[in-house]
Amino acid sequence: VSRFRASSDVAIVGYAHSPIERHAALPLGALAVETARRAIADAGLAVDQVDGFVTGALFPTSGAHAIEDGVSIVSANWLADHLGVDPSYAAGFQGFGQIPGSVAMAVNAVASGAADYVLLHRALHNPPGRYHGNPITTVGGVQQWTAPQGFFGPLAMIALATNEYLQRYGATRDALAAVVVEARKNGASIPWSYWHGNPLTVEDYLAAPQISDPICRYDCDIPVDGVATFVFTTAERARDLPHPPVYVRGYAFGQPTTRRLPLHWPLDDIMGVGDRLARRLWDRTGLRPEDIDLPQLYDGFSPFVLFWLEALGYCAPGEAHQFVLAGGIDSDSPSGLPVLSGGGALGNGRMHGVPQMLECYLQLSRRAGERQRERASVGLACHSSPHLGGAVVYSAEVS
Amino acid sequence: VSSGLRPVPQPDERSAPYWESAANHVLTVAKCAVCGALTLPPDQVCPHCLTTTPEFTFAPVSGRGTVRSWTVIRQSFLPGFDEDLPFVLVDVELVEQTELRMIGRLVDGVDAPIHIGDLVHVTFEDLAAGVAVPAFELDGVR
Repeated sequence: VSRFRASSDVAIVGYAHSPIERHAALPLGALAVETARRAIADAGLAVDQVDGFVTGALFPTSGAHAIEDGVSIVSANWLADHLGVDPSYAAGFQGFGQIPGSVAMAVNAVASGAADYVLLHRALHNPPGRYHGNPITTVGGVQQWTAPQGFFGPLAMIALATNEYLQRYGATRDALAAVVVEARKNGASIPWSYWHGNPLTVEDYLAAPQISDPICRYDCDIPVDGVATFVFTTAERARDLPHPPVYVRGYAFGQPTTRRLPLHWPLDDIMGVGDRLARRLWDRTGLRPEDIDLPQLYDGFSPFVLFWLEALGYCAPGEAHQFVLAGGIDSDSPSGLPVLSGGGALGNGRMHGVPQMLECYLQLSRRAGERQRERASVGLACHSSPHLGGAVVYSAEVS
Repeated sequence: VSSGLRPVPQPDERSAPYWESAANHVLTVAKCAVCGALTLPPDQVCPHCLTTTPEFTFAPVSGRGTVRSWTVIRQSFLPGFDEDLPFVLVDVELVEQTELRMIGRLVDGVDAPIHIGDLVHVTFEDLAAGVAVPAFELDGVR
């Protein structure tokens, strides 16, 4: 396998994050424009210097909400247009793992010279009404094979996979509680988080009714309005900009190869493809799990943290539940693996893989303020399930 | 017959034979004309032999299988299920082919003890005249 040739050629040089709210006062598009302008200024640039735009615009709902650019989603082209820019390059990532997917597009655009300064954004919307509720009375297409039986929406999806894990390895919901409590503890200290100042106890977790066993509301990130933006450029240009650059060392993605019913995620698919993703990541970057100071694991549903711990090689198969119960992911402990130090999606709100990426950026650029960790040279940020999503490795130094 | 408010399948050109069989309480699975492997749901290309002309036919299967996972649905995001809450969904591997898995309701209810590897067989829920959807029942329970 060849190494990633653009390793450390491209860097993040600035960012901005909106407040994370259940329903923002500004429309999503306007919030995206404001947040983009702040990121560009943070990077020491003017709007007209930015010539590339990328995102993954998916509105991740199973509801019947309208998809309207600038309202419920914000595409790269919409943002460029509304910033008054005629871009050299604007594109959207179509797959899952929208954050690693659009980071890869930003890196590729800068490394190839398709654009000099690329703005990556992610805009997430919480519409009025139930996020996943859908009033359909007839169901065609691929969902005709599952929805008539009542198998519908992401909670049932993750519940089947999670119960398969719990049953196979004799794990309990206490392990999920440990993940959620860690995420909420860290999110509570993040000023822009929806859960700022609002941690959760194990007792709170266990007292909540299950929605789709073994999943309860606290296992799910809460839908929010929020926008995050990052600016990418070459390592060379980054030297003249105000903040310490954070370099992209490489990335990898997963894709299932077994035909399945919609939303059917057997555990062996998740872990089998996850193993292949991890192998590609370590081979392409030349790094190993132990080289990563900050492995920021995706937690849109709490069980993802167990799956990523095992897929990336931090725990043997079936052992992540014991690891988290033993304090293995306590980011305040010197021996803990800081996998949710940025609060994750459970501790911030439904910002998809943004909290993982942002924590890598803030810690590696030493801009994390009171939360700054001493040991923060190499970070990893992943997103989605190991069998659908991706992972990116960042470093504070050129490799 | 359950409440008519539950979403009903909208058969298309390809799936019509499947739903016709289901209405007669016969479970079928799409079978590739080239390699004979079963696929659920059918695709444009056979996922087993990769032919672009799988010319799927819906072959009757035994409806027997083993439980690979399950969940108890306590809140539905679809209309028409509220009176059935809570209910169990099972992820079943059919005996006909390794990893041929389908998902349906377990009609035994939430109090029936269930384990990975339990044997189940297909049954059907009649949603409306001429509309039935597959479900499962634990073996040895009637």
